[in-house]
Amino acid sequence: MNIGKQLKEGLLTQNPVLVQLLGMCSTLAITTTVSNGLGMGLSVTIILTLSNIFISLLRKIIPEQVRIACYIVVIAGFVTMVDLLLQAFFPDIAESLGVFIPLIVVNCIILARAESFASKSKPLAAAVDGLCQGLGYTLVLLVMSAIRELLGSGSLAGTRVFPVEYAANMLAMPVGGFLTLGCLIALMQWAQRKVKGGK
Amino acid sequence: MSKEKPAAAPKPSRPALSVDPRYAGRITGVLLGICLATALLLGVVNQITKPRIAALEKAKKEAAMAQVLFADSYEETGFTAAGVPALYRALSGGAQTGWVAETSTGGSQGVIEMMVGVDMEGQVTGVSVIKHSETPNIGTKVVADPAVLNRFVGMSRADGEITVNAGSNRFDAVSGATVSSRGVTAGVNAALAAVGGQS
Repeated sequence: MNIGKQLKEGLLTQNPVLVQLLGMCSTLAITTTVSNGLGMGLSVTIILTLSNIFISLLRKIIPEQVRIACYIVVIAGFVTMVDLLLQAFFPDIAESLGVFIPLIVVNCIILARAESFASKSKPLAAAVDGLCQGLGYTLVLLVMSAIRELLGSGSLAGTRVFPVEYAANMLAMPVGGFLTLGCLIALMQWAQRKVKGGK
Repeated sequence: MSKEKPAAAPKPSRPALSVDPRYAGRITGVLLGICLATALLLGVVNQITKPRIAALEKAKKEAAMAQVLFADSYEETGFTAAGVPALYRALSGGAQTGWVAETSTGGSQGVIEMMVGVDMEGQVTGVSVIKHSETPNIGTKVVADPAVLNRFVGMSRADGEITVNAGSNRFDAVSGATVSSRGVTAGVNAALAAVGGQS
């Protein structure tokens, strides 16, 4: 187990959003404000880490044929718990994320990590993997929501930077999500090639 | 041109499906066990969070009611109508000072839930949006802007139903957010109609 390598993979070289292209739906939908991005990123990180730990613990018990069903039950259980806890203790975040918290159940990052990593690894390694991949997801959400909130609404984390009349409202809308994500993925591809010594 | 079908090749006989009952029992048992454990945990979390969530929701509604029409207490009438899930009597010092209607009407992206205060003369005293899913920077120019919502204050049904961008009892839609403006207006109309039917 190598924490540094896993962290580098999660944040950059195997970034769940920019390289593995997983979890795009929530990435596009909720990155309109930085607080939404942070709330969503941390929720996914917590759920991903917990589900990775439990799936890793259960990996010798879960039969091959029903593994997907088992993973989904474990993931859905954690998502519902986090949803209820957010509603009770952080109502503001729960309200602004709305339906996207329950939808974490079908966020493919979590199922992908369960299938490709947690089901083959020891609990500690799986926990680190969940944490690193979750942080990678959070990082992308933060970058995207910062760009979209600043240019699309003229504010950053709720603080007004310039009047809303000068903002490119398009960036706050779905089309702006696609544009921002496309540019970030292109940037990532370029950076990865540069590092590898290609063109 | 007639072409005879080639004689159908004899169907390959499928191997009989056989499942070891012990194995089937194990799969079912594991899945059932995981489901039961998850359900139990969820039940516990729900027990902890339920009262808090209910209290928060109630506090939010009461704050919205106090904002649209301040009174000592609010008494539910049990009245319901299309678009008006609840109607409250606002009581101050034992006497009724007005009505507060909870409304639920369609906006551009989903349901807009509001509290609408109406005084004894049938005039709107305030409008407060409790829940909406309008587009950021477009629909929110209506539902999240107190200055726009306060334009309803003083309007009544004496001059007929409030109409958007037309008629004598007119509400000017926010440019670009006509559908959200209509949704809010429909809520105010529903509230006024509900109150009108009471007295």
